[in-house]
Amino acid sequence: MKILVLIESINNKIHPVSIEALVAAQNIASENSVEIYPLCLNKNLIDDLSKFKCTKVLNVESLDLKNYEPMTYLDAAEKVFKAMDADLIMLGHTYETRDWAPRLSARLDIPFLSDCININLSDSKLIINRPIYQAKLIQKIALSDKGLVSFQAGSFSSENLIHENSPSESLSIELNSYDSIKQGERFQESAGGVDLTASDFIVSIGRGLGKEENIPLAQNLADKINAQIGASRPVVDAGWLDHSRQIGSSGQVVSPKLYFSLGISGAIQHLVGMKGSKQIIAINKDPNAPIFEIADYAVIGDVLEILPKLTENL
Amino acid sequence: MVYFNYIEQILMSLLILVCIGSFCFEITKRFRIVFKGEGSLPFDNIPSRLWRVFEEFLLQKKVLQQRFIPGLMHAFVFWGFIAFALITIDHFFRGYNSALFTDNTRYFYSLAFGIPWSFLVLIGILYLAYRRFYIRPKYLGEKISYTSGIVAIFISTLMITYMIDAYWIVYDSHPSALTFKINWWIHAILILLFLFLIPRSKHLHLVLSPINIFFKSFDNPNHRAVPIDMEGDEEELEKLLTGMGKLTKSQTLDIFSCVECGRCTEVCPANRGGGVLDPKHNFILDLKNPIMDTNNVDVIGNINVEAGWECTSCQACTEACPVGNEVEKADETRNLQVLVEGNVPQEYQKLFMNLQTTGNTEGATSSTLSEKLPIYDGTQDFVLWLGGFSKYALDPKYGESVISLTKILDKAKITYGILAKEKCTGEPANKLGDKLTYNMLMQENLETLKEVKKIITMCPHCSINLGTEYAKYEKIEYEVYHHTEVIEDLIKNKKITVNKNNNDKVTFHDPCNLSRGMNVTKAPRTAINASCSDFKELDENGKNTLCCGAGGGLWWKKETVGKTHLVRAEQVIESGSDTVVTGCSFCYGMMNQGLGPLTPQDQEPIKVKDVADIVAENLS
Amino acid sequence: MKICVLMKQVASEDSPLKINSNGSGIDETNLNLITNEPDTYALEEALLIKEKTSGEVTICTLGPDSSQQVIKDGLAKGADKAIHITIENLKNVSPLSMGKVIYNKIKDENFDLVLSGLQSNDYGHAQLGIIISEYLNYSHASLVIGTEVNEENSLKIKRELENGWFQSAELTLPACLSIQSGINQPRYATLKGIMSVKNKPVDKCEAKELGISEDSGYKVEEVFLPKKAKETQILDGSTDEIVNQLTDILKNKIKVG
Repeated sequence: MKILVLIESINNKIHPVSIEALVAAQNIASENSVEIYPLCLNKNLIDDLSKFKCTKVLNVESLDLKNYEPMTYLDAAEKVFKAMDADLIMLGHTYETRDWAPRLSARLDIPFLSDCININLSDSKLIINRPIYQAKLIQKIALSDKGLVSFQAGSFSSENLIHENSPSESLSIELNSYDSIKQGERFQESAGGVDLTASDFIVSIGRGLGKEENIPLAQNLADKINAQIGASRPVVDAGWLDHSRQIGSSGQVVSPKLYFSLGISGAIQHLVGMKGSKQIIAINKDPNAPIFEIADYAVIGDVLEILPKLTENL
Repeated sequence: MVYFNYIEQILMSLLILVCIGSFCFEITKRFRIVFKGEGSLPFDNIPSRLWRVFEEFLLQKKVLQQRFIPGLMHAFVFWGFIAFALITIDHFFRGYNSALFTDNTRYFYSLAFGIPWSFLVLIGILYLAYRRFYIRPKYLGEKISYTSGIVAIFISTLMITYMIDAYWIVYDSHPSALTFKINWWIHAILILLFLFLIPRSKHLHLVLSPINIFFKSFDNPNHRAVPIDMEGDEEELEKLLTGMGKLTKSQTLDIFSCVECGRCTEVCPANRGGGVLDPKHNFILDLKNPIMDTNNVDVIGNINVEAGWECTSCQACTEACPVGNEVEKADETRNLQVLVEGNVPQEYQKLFMNLQTTGNTEGATSSTLSEKLPIYDGTQDFVLWLGGFSKYALDPKYGESVISLTKILDKAKITYGILAKEKCTGEPANKLGDKLTYNMLMQENLETLKEVKKIITMCPHCSINLGTEYAKYEKIEYEVYHHTEVIEDLIKNKKITVNKNNNDKVTFHDPCNLSRGMNVTKAPRTAINASCSDFKELDENGKNTLCCGAGGGLWWKKETVGKTHLVRAEQVIESGSDTVVTGCSFCYGMMNQGLGPLTPQDQEPIKVKDVADIVAENLS
Repeated sequence: MKICVLMKQVASEDSPLKINSNGSGIDETNLNLITNEPDTYALEEALLIKEKTSGEVTICTLGPDSSQQVIKDGLAKGADKAIHITIENLKNVSPLSMGKVIYNKIKDENFDLVLSGLQSNDYGHAQLGIIISEYLNYSHASLVIGTEVNEENSLKIKRELENGWFQSAELTLPACLSIQSGINQPRYATLKGIMSVKNKPVDKCEAKELGISEDSGYKVEEVFLPKKAKETQILDGSTDEIVNQLTDILKNKIKVG
């Protein structure tokens, strides 16, 4: 089996989720005869990639892309996939992936299983797990033939990456040019936002807090334990807090020592932003809230009753 | 007797004609606009209407109630105005060398009425001017009202000129003709200028308030039904939609009657909570220029939309208005936003969708409370209408209060059952402008209630909708009772015995829907006084109650500019009570939400109970 | 400007989700069916663009008969017409197959824009909108948080990136856009809109006639409840007891400041 691992570039470095995808590939390779070909379109990444155990690091001779170019990515990936006669493509699931991977799936006419959390190869059958219904359920899927799989951040750990010097090869592939999509500048909107990724303790606010007026209750607790305030997306959308406080797939991804969530149900987009936290305490009225799945301590109760008393007690 | 020559009489006649002419012209212009309004002015219940005019207009009941000292001062000026009516007519007669009074009558009338009232009026108007121009209370507005200044000067001068005249009458002194005439002309011209000024300013309330009070509805609130026929044709729909932007005749009359006193804003819970809503401007005065400029009543669209969404529909504004205005127009503006513009705040879109797909506000498919209660099979005394609040535990503890009621009914050997097919009465949809969903739920509920004769419910929002509101659309055959009414009845007829065992410091929060909406204030107090030994009223109680903040669909509003929901809770805390009793599920929930965060650390949490709870706890 | 909006009917978040008897999927009885919320943002964006450029909005939905409600709601909000591709069950149809079927239906319509919600809240593939762009050979962008229609042939968009970053891009028309939630405030249908639904054309056809493939290239073997990787300790008792337990954990186990 030949696996093509697509490596994403961020700030001119290898994106952490791409490393995780590589770990996933290495996992399968450990007990089977599997060839792994990381493909990077940013030549700057080749050296680092060559330190990881794989069959061969590939790049395209004519390409040295620091930034995402959808149609070029598509073109390169398609042609390399066909040239290598690969069976499987793996990559990390990012916003970039969402933008072009489905198109690659259509172009190659192979199914795309997105945002998966596990992959196994047994008896030449690839079994992949992916969450559905906001992670309330998991699907176990058997891939029939070729396929494209992306992995949710945090599904594999970069600590399990096997290091070994590997060869690299520059492919001469003729690519088309296009002008239908012109990428513009990247920019941020919340000026001077708080960097939650640097905080050890985070107290995070969800819709369960009821009204904007109740935020001081959470702030008081945060002040007592030296924590920063974070929030789920609905809270930011409602204008209660600034976007810089948002935690989740379209906000900050954090892994503090303590993540104390208040009235957050735990939609998948939020969990993705904090499930790497070392300790998670969650308070929510709903006993079925998905956040309890990943919490270390679960309190099924009224956050408005508990907060003031807890703050006073500390 | 001083003699007025022909030139003076002709001049006087011209002035009178011009001023009365102008007065009539301006009034007619305004009435023409009133008659463009929708609906018709009511002439039912004439004795009650006349009695209300007597109380509120003649006796100045609401003027005195809200603000006693300023109200009394105003009453002086008003009663003085009435006392002076005959004097004024006599004054003009004398200008034609004639007289209404004989000299003797004039003498005694001056002594008995004229002079004392002229002093009271002068004191009154000077105090009111002092209050308006020096103290400047905020409800009278930021800008100085020039017309008020002019009126103060006019009235003071009128009183002084009268006093001079009365002095001459009483002391039988004879001033020179010139002096007399100067004094006479000043007095006459000011009166005529008054006529000129009245219709063009808020002083039109002098003429319109008795009329407006006469035509005020006995229902509070009094909004139009919006019957929507999905199978109807385009023309019907067009008529309905155009009608929605228009004021009714009564509402238009209100706008002209408004005296700009600001009592409505002063009592408004949304305003007091720091919100944007200012009923005096948003619901009344903002519409004045539009109706005058367009000469028409199609002005609902001019109401500030954001303010409209903050209203809890508690009707405190309508209750407080001394000139009989039905102030609140949240219903009208929301109808427009939802049905015509499609501008529904996001949080309410989900609410409406839930009502449409699952028949309740929460999108729930099961109710734990319902499973505990017997089903109505046609034989029981009452249908126990639960309402969505208790069924879906919008406050987790309220279900226990429903059980308390069942204990009382059981004790009194009254049978009851719940309806399996009970759907939300549609109140949130009704109050939030989605009349389409409301019509849908109403039709389904009416079908379910076909054979039902008596309903008992704990939620006044439900009882008002099942009763008064549904009745605006279709003829209803059942009777709806609020549980406090039934409990009072049981106590009075000794079907249950209640022991006065509760010694907590108890107070009662009147739900606005119960006290103002249903006119029920005595029933809950009967129950409380039967069970509690230490009951103290809150300052704003009975029909003057301060809304808890949950009405008008605001229970479901997540983001508010102000803290309406905390204002009443603060009052309860400041009253020093141990327990607050209430008679509405939403008030119960609000008290729980508001008291918690506001109770100071060193104070015991205040207990929240329903009337059913304190009675059930003390049943023998 | 001719705009197509792909809309799907899904089970609402509060529906009770139970696994069916043979563990191959969810139990479909008692589901509360609604329009996929991200699609409502796409529809709203389409209506806003239509209002700016005076165009026409067509809703396209692939689903069973119950999906008619999605079409009714969309037409009530202001869409002009609809296409309903009926299929008995979407459960095991891959996004690729869905894309092919829809492509077969709309390829001759010459839409200038095809909009879709970022993903459907049931299976969350987030692919259909982009797959269609490949078949139609249109330009594409996903996670669109802002659109600006310029002259006849180009379109400026704003994309949402991770960590509070955004990126602008210029696309040639025709284009496919997958729309991120929060881009706008979806409107509520007006009374007039609801009444007008009966006069708007709905083109109904069957997925079978459009070459729906049974083979997705994969098979869903099982659906199960997620296992917890860590032991969750549930804190119980009265509010005061819970507060004491939390205080202990915060002070002694996690050692907060």
